[in-house]
Amino acid sequence: MPAPLPSASVRHRRMSRLVNIGIPYLWLGLFFLLPFAIVLQISLAEPALAQPPYTALWQWVDEGLLRIEINLRNFMMVAQDDLYLSALLNSLQVAVICTLLCLLLGYPMAYAIATAPERWRITLLMLIVLPFWTSFLIRVYAWIGILKPNGLLNDALIWLGLIDTPLAILHTQTAVYIGVVYSYLPFMILPLYANLTRLDPSLLEAAADLGCRPMRAFLRVTLPLSMAGIVAGSMLVFIPVVGEFVIPDLLGGPESLMVGKLLWSEFFSNKDWPLASALAILLLALLVVPFVMMQRLQQRMEGSRP
Amino acid sequence: MATLAERRSLEPWQDPKAVPYLRIDRVTKKFGDVYAVDDVSLEIFQGEFFSLLGSSGCGKSTLLRMLAGLEYPSAGRIYIDGVDVTDVPAYSRPVNMMFQSYALFPHMSVEQNVEFGLKQDRMPRRERGERVGEMLDLLKITELRKRRPDQLSGGQRQRVALARSLAKHPKLLLLDEPLGALDKRLRENTQFELVNLQERLGITFVTVTHDQEEAMTMSTRIAVMDAGQIMQVDTPTAIYEFPTCRLVAEFIGSINLFEGKVVATEGNQVLVETRVGRPMRMRAFHPMVLGTPVTVAVRPEKMRLCADFRDDGVNQLKGRVEDIAYLGDVSIYRIRVGDGALVEMTLTNVQPRTEQALTWEQEVAIEWSPTSGVVLTE
Repeated sequence: MPAPLPSASVRHRRMSRLVNIGIPYLWLGLFFLLPFAIVLQISLAEPALAQPPYTALWQWVDEGLLRIEINLRNFMMVAQDDLYLSALLNSLQVAVICTLLCLLLGYPMAYAIATAPERWRITLLMLIVLPFWTSFLIRVYAWIGILKPNGLLNDALIWLGLIDTPLAILHTQTAVYIGVVYSYLPFMILPLYANLTRLDPSLLEAAADLGCRPMRAFLRVTLPLSMAGIVAGSMLVFIPVVGEFVIPDLLGGPESLMVGKLLWSEFFSNKDWPLASALAILLLALLVVPFVMMQRLQQRMEGSRP
Repeated sequence: MATLAERRSLEPWQDPKAVPYLRIDRVTKKFGDVYAVDDVSLEIFQGEFFSLLGSSGCGKSTLLRMLAGLEYPSAGRIYIDGVDVTDVPAYSRPVNMMFQSYALFPHMSVEQNVEFGLKQDRMPRRERGERVGEMLDLLKITELRKRRPDQLSGGQRQRVALARSLAKHPKLLLLDEPLGALDKRLRENTQFELVNLQERLGITFVTVTHDQEEAMTMSTRIAVMDAGQIMQVDTPTAIYEFPTCRLVAEFIGSINLFEGKVVATEGNQVLVETRVGRPMRMRAFHPMVLGTPVTVAVRPEKMRLCADFRDDGVNQLKGRVEDIAYLGDVSIYRIRVGDGALVEMTLTNVQPRTEQALTWEQEVAIEWSPTSGVVLTE
């Protein structure tokens, strides 16, 4: 008996499924995979005084003879030169510390908004989102005005009599921390808020009913149940901060060399595209690790309750 | 007949010398300008299964939450075992509560949920393990011990919630709509189980429910609440048979109400003139002044077919069958009488439905005895 031909509706369903799955993959391929392949290719080339400023990875030398040159010196250079390693480590350090600071500041804020009376919540959330109305760059510039030796902060502290001479904050690592925490705090607060509003208040009542004091109830119930929000918020802060360029460039000093800034100078000042690309590839690899780890963790947590 | 002493141990509220375990003394709770609970006083005794019954928004849940310490009264005091706990926070009160939503901790296993309260008391690990085992055993959920709440069915969750609230061996257990989330079949089974459990453990239960059947089956006493106030506190039988006001009469089961006024008193009976026909003669529990506006209340199952309808008879009505609801064991007949009012009568289907003479549009006469109902003044 011949297999029945798929009916029009079945074919239609297959088509639509193909389109549904296809579009995101097409998007990823076009705007992530392709650029990534280009950068990877550049990272394996040699710098050259040409347009574009790197050698081709392959060329036809003769009839039927293809020469492929893979240059790993860029990666070796990055691995061997302390400058790159210290920039990478510094970036990681800044990202870790800033993520923790954002968490410490953002959690109480998100908690306060989530537990505030309903009619206040929108207003409070608006206040968190409001800075986005102004350009990121302008807000970072504004911090220069606040932090510089005769800026708002120092003037205020001197006026209060707390200090005699202005504090040197601008162009130090501290300024970078301030700028980063300020800029990325909303990215911590919003996912945490979304998570905490979903917390069933009767769980805390049940904890109290079973003899649990408020602080313990927070540690035993609220905190573990908001873990997903903490992880999401931390990722949203950590990943972009590692590659952050504008804030260390404007607020940081010579000692606060971050990988984003280094990338920029390799690319634009030194015109060493291959080295900059190698650095970018390494940075990406470095960021993929925590991301995969988080996904593993999430899968395990979901696996325990199918 | 039970002796007086036996009666008193079964019905401590009858004993003037009995000391209540839980005393609610003129408690009021205001939310803004709204009185959720309005000047409520109650005495509940050790070992009772007490139900707060009322429609949603009547204040029963608020009252229960005040007992748990999750809300604080605006006025009045609450005493548990003679101790004033009005200002004691929930985590220090010697009571436990089973929440309507069960409020199981989703990140903990069944075992950890049950153990939670014991950990707060810093009970030694071994003792804790034993107690958890005992509770899981009691509620027959031992094989679920490693599961998480989202891997459980509604009935299983209910058991876990109950095990968790019983784990600390509270003397007073509060239950907020304990069976509300279960389907009908499961609910009926669980009702009996809950009562057995309560009797076995000797714990005082205070439950909140909007389901009158549930309250009737399980409770030693019921408090019917409306608009933050208690309308009547009594045993299920008394609440059903002898309601003291129209509201209670109408809330529990169905009932026929005939408005009228007292025209004569004969001994402990009163003659009431109503709009539906001849006077009704009913037993009255307290003396009534002539002319008092009253309501005669008779339950449908107290009505019966009348064989000798007399023009001068009392407690008799003539009408036409308008609706018949066949429920299997009984049928409900709605009969249009004299002034157009509908009277409900329930008859047991002794004969198969098909053999019964009573049918639609049929003229019938019905009657009831003077002791079959009550005369309400409010």
